[in-house]
Amino acid sequence: MIIGRKVLLLLLTLLFSVSSAGAVKIEISAPGEQEIPLALTSFLPMGTAQPEIAAEINAVLQADLGLSGLFSLVDRASFLSDADKLGLSSVLVDFSQWKLLGAEAVIKGGYRVEGGRLIVEARLFDVISRRMLTGRRYIGKPEEARRIAHTFADQVMLSMTGTKGPFSSRIAYISNRTGKKELYLMEVDGHAPIRLTNHRGIVLNPDFSPVGKELIFTSYKKGNPDLYRKEIYAGREARLSHRQGLNIGGRYSPDGREIAVTLSKDKNSELYLLGTDGTIHKRLTNHWGIDVDPSWSPAGDKVAFVSDRRGNPHVYIVDVDSLEVKRLTFDGKYNATPAWSPNGERIAFARMENGSFDIYTIKPDGSDERRLTFGSGNKEHPRWSPDSRFLVYSLDRDGEKAIYLMRADGTGNRRISAAGGDDSHPAWSGYW
Amino acid sequence: MNLPKKQSWRRLHSRFEPGFKRMLLLSVAIHFLVPVLYTGVLYFSPPREKPPVYRVNLVNKPVKNPQAGRPEASPKKKKTVTKAKPKPKPVVKSKPKPAPKPKPEAKKVVKPKPKPEPVAKPEPTISKAQEQDFQQKIEAMRREKEREDRLAALRAELEKEREKIAAETPVGEVTGKGDEEGIAYASFVKAFITEQWRLSKYQLPSLNLEAEWKLIYNAEGQLIHKKVVSGSGNKMFDDSLLRAIMKSQNLGRELEEQTEFEVTFNLREMQN
Repeated sequence: MIIGRKVLLLLLTLLFSVSSAGAVKIEISAPGEQEIPLALTSFLPMGTAQPEIAAEINAVLQADLGLSGLFSLVDRASFLSDADKLGLSSVLVDFSQWKLLGAEAVIKGGYRVEGGRLIVEARLFDVISRRMLTGRRYIGKPEEARRIAHTFADQVMLSMTGTKGPFSSRIAYISNRTGKKELYLMEVDGHAPIRLTNHRGIVLNPDFSPVGKELIFTSYKKGNPDLYRKEIYAGREARLSHRQGLNIGGRYSPDGREIAVTLSKDKNSELYLLGTDGTIHKRLTNHWGIDVDPSWSPAGDKVAFVSDRRGNPHVYIVDVDSLEVKRLTFDGKYNATPAWSPNGERIAFARMENGSFDIYTIKPDGSDERRLTFGSGNKEHPRWSPDSRFLVYSLDRDGEKAIYLMRADGTGNRRISAAGGDDSHPAWSGYW
Repeated sequence: MNLPKKQSWRRLHSRFEPGFKRMLLLSVAIHFLVPVLYTGVLYFSPPREKPPVYRVNLVNKPVKNPQAGRPEASPKKKKTVTKAKPKPKPVVKSKPKPAPKPKPEAKKVVKPKPKPEPVAKPEPTISKAQEQDFQQKIEAMRREKEREDRLAALRAELEKEREKIAAETPVGEVTGKGDEEGIAYASFVKAFITEQWRLSKYQLPSLNLEAEWKLIYNAEGQLIHKKVVSGSGNKMFDDSLLRAIMKSQNLGRELEEQTEFEVTFNLREMQN
C-alpha cells in the first residue's frame, strides 16, 4: 500500500513538472513580415546574349510572382556582384551578399539558344538555409520564353506552398472585337489572345473540359442557343445539344464524363445532366422556377445553381444522387453565376447591391460570406483558378467590359484583357 | 450443481496472490487519472486572452527586473552641467583701407533680334473616347493621390504619438516592478524573433497552426541550444520558424544571465 502511494505520488509529480523550472514563456502570434523578400535576378546568357529573351523571362516572373502575394521584390538596383554570376548550384552562390540585402529567397538562371532551341536553366534558392529549393531545365523554341517563365513560376509556387501555381493555364472568354461575340483564348496574363470561333453571331458561357484540350459553349450560330464543343488545337467543332429552346450554361463534371446544362425544351428552364455525346442522362431539377448557371462541386456529387423558385434569384445546391435541393444564399435580392472552387472550400458568386454587381464568396454550408469587390461597375461571372488561389471575372464599368484577375481574398486586382473590346464571361482552364 | 455467487467469488479471490487486489485498484486509478489530468477535464482553464500589444524598442537593454514603464520608450538623455566659458576679451582691430572704386565699363549696344514669324499650331486630333479615357485616368490618379495623402497624414499622426510616448514615459514594462531601466528578456526576445519571421498567409492552407520551440541564450545573447518541442504539421510554417530562429542566433544585446525560453508560434493575430 505504501509502495502504491509512493508510485502514485511520483507519477503526479512528473505530470505537473512538464515545463522546466525557470523557463521564460513567450507567445509570438504573427510573423513580423507577411511577404518573403525575393531577389529576382536577370537570367544570364550561357552563350550568345539575347537580352530580349532575358527581359521577357524576367517580366513574366515578376508579374506572376507579384500576383501570388507571397513575395516582396528586393530592389534590383541594390544587387551586388553575385547577381552577375550564373550560380546554378548552391555552392556557387554567395548567400552572404543576398542576406545582406535582406533577401530570404533568390531566383537565378541562365539561357542559351542553339540549333533553333531555347534552353533555360532556372533555380530558386533559400538564402537562410543556403540550399536550392527547386531547379529546372526547360527546352523549347525561342518564342516560348514566356511559356517557360510561366512554368517556372508554377514551380516556385509549388516549392513555397506545396501546390503548383496556375500561371501556365489558359483563360477563355467572349469578346466582340470583330463586331460579333466570339470565343477567345489567352494566357493568364492576357498575352497571346487567339480567336477560336467564327460563328458571326452570339457565343456565350465557355467551359473547359477537365480531361482534354476542349471547350463547350453556347452559340446562336443556327438561330437557337445550342451547346457546342470545340477541340482547341485540332479546331474540330460539334453541336452537342440543339434541343428547342435554351441549351445554355454547360459545365463539365470534374471527371469530364457529364455536362450539367440548362434546357428549356419542356417550356421551363431546368437543369439536366448530359453525356459527352449530348444524350440526356438525368434531370436534376423539376420546379416552376427558372434554374440556370450550374457549377459542380469538386467531388462531383453536388451542383450549385441559381433559381428564382422563392421569388428572387438565389443560389441553391442540388444533390446529384438524391436530387435534394438546399438553399445557399439568403441575403441580397439578386445572386447569380455561382462557381465552386476546385478545393471545395468556397463558392464564388455575384450579388447585386445598390444597382451594381459585386463578387462574394461563401462556404458550401452557407457560413462565412465575404465580399471581395467594391467600387463602381458590375463585377460578374467569377471563375476559379485550378489551384483555388485566384479568381477571374468580368468588369463592366463606364461602358467598357474587361477581364480582371484577383486573389481569392479580393486583393491584387489587375486587368488582363486588352483595351478595345467588350470582354466578358471568362472561364479558367485546369492545369494545361 | 451451481455454487452460490458468494462462494464462487471467494474461490476466484483465493486464486490470486495477496495484495493483488490493491495493485489492481492502483493500476485502474492511474489509468483513469492520467488522461483526466492530461486533458484538463477536472480543472478549469480560462480562455486565452489576447495580450495588449506594445511596440518594443530593440535599442533598449534587456534586463531581468525592469522598472514600471513602456517597452517602446527611448532612454532619456541625461542633462550634463557644463561650466560657462569665460567671454573672450574684445580685440581692437585697425580699420582696413577702403578698396578703390572700380571704373564704370562702357555699356554695350545690343541690336534687337528680329521677331520670328508665328508658326500655325496644328489642331489636336483626339477622339471623344480617348479624351474620356484620359479624363478617367486623371480622375483615378487624383483619387489615388488623395488616398496616399490621407495615409501619409495618418502615419505622421501615429509617429507623433509614438514619439510622445517615448519622450514622456520611462523605459520599462507596463507590469514592471523592478528597478532596472530596460525591457524584460521576454519582450526583447519576442520582438527580435518576430522581426526575423517572414511568412505569407498565401503559403498556408489554414491559419490554425501552432508550434513550440525551446531556445537557450547565453549571457552574451548567443543562441546555444534550440529544439522543436512540437511541430505544426505544416512544412511551410515549420520551415519559416527554422529560418526565423537561424536569423536570431545573435540577439546583438547581452542578457544578464543564460536564459531558457519556451516560444509558442501561432497565427492568432492573423485570424479574423
